[in-house]
Amino acid sequence: MNLLTLVTFLPLAGALALALLPRDEHGQHRVVTLAFTLLTFALSLGLWFGFDASAGAPEFQFEQRVDWIPSIGIGYHVGLDGVALLLVMLTTALTPIVILSAFRAVEERVKEFMIALLVLETAMIGTFAALDLVLFYVFWELILVPMYLLIGIWGSQNRLYATVKFFVYTFTASVLMLLAIVYIYFHDGGTFDYVQARQALQVTPDHARWLFLAFAVAFAVKVPMFPLHTWLPDAHTEAPTAGSVILAGVLLKMGTFGFFRYALPLFPEAALQYRNVIAVLAVIGILYGALMSLVQTDMKRLVAYSSVSHLGFVMLGLVALSAEGLTGSVYQMLNHGVSTGALFLLVGMLYERRHTRLIAEYGGIAKQVPWIATAFVIVMLSSVGLPGTNGFVGEFLILSGTWLSRLGSAPVFATLGAIGVILGAVYMLILVERVFFGAMRNPANRALRDLSVREGFVLVPMLVLIVVMGVLPGPFLAPAKPAVDRLIARFQQAEARLGTGPQVGTVTPAVAVRAAAEVPAPTLPIVLPTGGAH
Amino acid sequence: MPPIVASPTAAESYLWAIILFPLAGAIVNGLIGRRIGKGNVTLIALGAMVGALIVSTIAFIWALQGTVLHFRGDPWIRVAGPDGRALISIGWGLLVDRLSATMIMVVTGVGTLIHIYSASYMSHEDDTGYARYFTYLNLFVAAMLTLVLGDTLVLTFVGWEGVGLCSYLLIGFWYTDPAKAFAGRKAFVTNRIGDFGFLVGLFALISIFGTASYGDLQAIARTLDPAATIQVGTFAGRTYQAAITFALLGLFVGACGKSAQLPLYVWLPDAMAGPTPVSALIHAATMVTAGVYLVARNAYLFSLAPAAMATVTLVGALTALFAALIAFVQTDIKKVLAYSTVSQLGFMFIGVGVGAWWAGVLHLVTHAFFKACLFLGAGSVMHGMGDETDVRKMGGLLKKMPHTAATFGIATLAITGFVPLSGFWSKDAILGNALFSHNPAWHQVGEIAYVLGTLAALGTAFYMSRVFFLTFVGKPRTHAAEHAHESSPVMTIPLWILALLSIVATVLALPVHGPLGHVFERFVEPVFAAGTERLLAVEHLHAAAHPSWPYFAAWGVAALGTLVAWTMYAGPALEAPRKLALAFPRVYRFAYDKFRVDELYEFLVIEPLRYAAYILWRIVDVFAIDGLFVNGVARAVGFAGSMFRVAQNGDLQRYAAVMAVAAAVILWTVLGAGGR
Repeated sequence: MNLLTLVTFLPLAGALALALLPRDEHGQHRVVTLAFTLLTFALSLGLWFGFDASAGAPEFQFEQRVDWIPSIGIGYHVGLDGVALLLVMLTTALTPIVILSAFRAVEERVKEFMIALLVLETAMIGTFAALDLVLFYVFWELILVPMYLLIGIWGSQNRLYATVKFFVYTFTASVLMLLAIVYIYFHDGGTFDYVQARQALQVTPDHARWLFLAFAVAFAVKVPMFPLHTWLPDAHTEAPTAGSVILAGVLLKMGTFGFFRYALPLFPEAALQYRNVIAVLAVIGILYGALMSLVQTDMKRLVAYSSVSHLGFVMLGLVALSAEGLTGSVYQMLNHGVSTGALFLLVGMLYERRHTRLIAEYGGIAKQVPWIATAFVIVMLSSVGLPGTNGFVGEFLILSGTWLSRLGSAPVFATLGAIGVILGAVYMLILVERVFFGAMRNPANRALRDLSVREGFVLVPMLVLIVVMGVLPGPFLAPAKPAVDRLIARFQQAEARLGTGPQVGTVTPAVAVRAAAEVPAPTLPIVLPTGGAH
Repeated sequence: MPPIVASPTAAESYLWAIILFPLAGAIVNGLIGRRIGKGNVTLIALGAMVGALIVSTIAFIWALQGTVLHFRGDPWIRVAGPDGRALISIGWGLLVDRLSATMIMVVTGVGTLIHIYSASYMSHEDDTGYARYFTYLNLFVAAMLTLVLGDTLVLTFVGWEGVGLCSYLLIGFWYTDPAKAFAGRKAFVTNRIGDFGFLVGLFALISIFGTASYGDLQAIARTLDPAATIQVGTFAGRTYQAAITFALLGLFVGACGKSAQLPLYVWLPDAMAGPTPVSALIHAATMVTAGVYLVARNAYLFSLAPAAMATVTLVGALTALFAALIAFVQTDIKKVLAYSTVSQLGFMFIGVGVGAWWAGVLHLVTHAFFKACLFLGAGSVMHGMGDETDVRKMGGLLKKMPHTAATFGIATLAITGFVPLSGFWSKDAILGNALFSHNPAWHQVGEIAYVLGTLAALGTAFYMSRVFFLTFVGKPRTHAAEHAHESSPVMTIPLWILALLSIVATVLALPVHGPLGHVFERFVEPVFAAGTERLLAVEHLHAAAHPSWPYFAAWGVAALGTLVAWTMYAGPALEAPRKLALAFPRVYRFAYDKFRVDELYEFLVIEPLRYAAYILWRIVDVFAIDGLFVNGVARAVGFAGSMFRVAQNGDLQRYAAVMAVAAAVILWTVLGAGGR
């Protein structure tokens, strides 16, 4: 059996198994679910180690193709490129952590809760693995169901408004994508297969623009990009911890992944046309999200707005279309999953203890809960992109990649993005200060418990990832390279078709191109660090 | 002989140990420190420092012999494009030339002394706090060494932000006090503003040179004609000189943040909220000098950009005088020392700004000795007076605390520029070189810096002597001062070592001929040779010997300042300060309130930002997007919402089924309509 298919559907099998268990055995539900997700993670390691990231390796690996509805060209076609691999790994690693974190938080309808999470995991992996447009769409929409239930049933006071908003936002946008998919079907020789469609698609530039926009809007809602972001603070705030972590950790990346996999490579000419608009919105998102975070009084809402800011970085790196920017974007997708996921876990732990998310209810609790405080500070550092943590690698690559890209006014975008780095420090430091530092004034906090052993198991993997990805980014950067190179190559072909000169890739350093009258080019062996040795 | 000193190659392979020693100390103490007792914590932290000091010394000896140690590390962040070019290729490489060798000796040497001192100073903390303190302190040293040893701007930036983090943690060490926690955040955020400039400068340099490694930057820059026009990229159409100037100004914004220069100095005085040994190590001797190091490290690039050098000079000179003026009337002993540090850093920037790089770096070294000594002395006074910091409540401590008073006195003489102590030679080397430099971008900037700097030196002599007289001379003015006690030898021995170092450092800069003259200038000459050569070529500097009258003038200035302070605070005119304050109440108040710069920033930047954010939130998010658009649409589809609400029973299968059917129906409809 294909390993990827196995990894994709194992959680679903777990959900079926869970359905057979008696209703009131909550302990069993939890353990069985954890076992299934851990097994999924263990199997996904096979994907990680089996993936060939060399330049000559096939674009999609662990590929499987089975006809599904052959009469209209729908197939079950899955496979992973490096970016999808990284996101699948993020999903399989994050899910058991989320399950473990929910052991105490969820006491009601445990069975349904666990089933929802397992279905969600299959849907998420499927979204990243799908290589058939209809299959992709099915997984994409399948996610809405368990997510809707997670927020709607296990959420907090205002959950109905949040779920409906979440559903309406994403569903409306997705319908646009569905229309675009159907349109593609009629213009690529009648197939929904992504790989074939990418090659055979024949549309006028005008239509390509509309198709790009349809995809882009669907993905932009998911990212979310300004001004389509307002569902996120509500969904995050009302969702249970597990929902928030999955939402921030994986779901938002489906939007940026969608850009990387579908919107950009399918319609490169249109993407080149709209990249400045997207870059402007991305930078607005960075700054706007950060400013919003400054004035929030609810911890989850603050972290939610910080996601808008962080995902703005990802979008900026994507449309920079330089190797550095794209790689940084992919890296930042993982970083955000880890660090914002960890932030939501920590906020959830505080919430479980005090049943409030209001910053003002806390203050000065570092003495009472030193380990939570320590973990929170480390995660905060990752979130503000301190060197030595994963956040720095991503932000540095995105900002330098933007500066060095051929995007119009690239230095301006990079500079504005870098201002977001300042603001990021401001709101995160304020959060830490208001929650953990100062004098403890609220007597309700005197009895706060520090981390339990279980919570330690939840957090330690996240903290380890933060440091390891910050110090040794190599193994996490490597799988993305072939995919990034292919995307750039695709855009270079589009450039050639348009005949507008180079618009993508990395600029040439000034010293490498000199006027004839000038000093001859230096003969130093170190002048330009070209590829090779490392 | 152990293999570590057998060959440069062997020494290079051990360079990382300098950083890893304190890092390991921080990790061990951070994880298990609270459980192993204070003795073991001290042993680990101090052992790590001594280890780093020993390896640093070996590296220094190699540098002394003229060898440049360069460890070419494995890549850390490396991204190559499809064509194989990798502009972003950052390795874990370390570089020990004579500049970084000097720096690591200061960091590990002064650092070790301050670790010893801290063992006594922090002994009142509980086990957890004590372990936390030494964790942060070790971590700081590791970050500072990374900053200094990194062979690329990016690795320096890693240390740069790392020291900022430790500074944040240590300023807010007693975080239960909201003011201290706030001071920590203020430091971090102000530094981040500087770091933003650093990043912009870094990106600009990469886009010009295609590298961020110091060695490559200089090597490539030496092949450039600064007046040539750039053909491609961000700076296409501009000259190399203009582009490099832009990039260096970005880096200098970073330096202004880290080294507390105008207009980003505001965090440093507040940083005194941290434990006093921290103020000595981080906010006087090492971290705050990182900006000076950054400029000196890129000396050759600066020599290509006279406008950037003029900016550095002017900012340094203005800061030197501005901070000295605030220090005049401060009554908190640590605040005076803090403004004094800001002012002295200004001197260092004048030095590196006018091209007298060696003088700037020498002042960095001598300042590390006497300012660390002053801060530790202040800590000793606080220790003996029950954490009192107000100099008005002291007086007459000379008899109670003879060791502290003697060492504080020596350091005061050194900083005021009293012959023949070290501060005189380093400061006056800076001012002398400023006077005789001619920046091509702005000829007079050196002279302006000389005038402002001399006034600042006069101020320095005055306010430092004032603090000394108020603290140690006269009669005890409070009960606490009467019953003050001398600190333990664990604290006074580091004081004496630092005081002696401020005397001994004199030999580094004697302006005489022969083997004893200009020791430090000749020592670091290879590092700055290319830059100096360039400055001589454009007549920014002049090879001819300078006249010696500035030295006498400077000595006179120092003596005058000290004399005035003596008259007003220990001599015949004891009533003068009070009368002056009464005669000019507004001026006094304005200076006492530190020229209300904090309030200005609050009014100009912080409040507008907060209001803008709030208004944007209410208007754009809540009113426009949600209120008008989303909820409007939502009401339209409210029907669907109510349907889901009714069926909210967790029946997952039904949802999946509905989902699939709906998708199929849509597909079928569209396909049926369009396809066949």
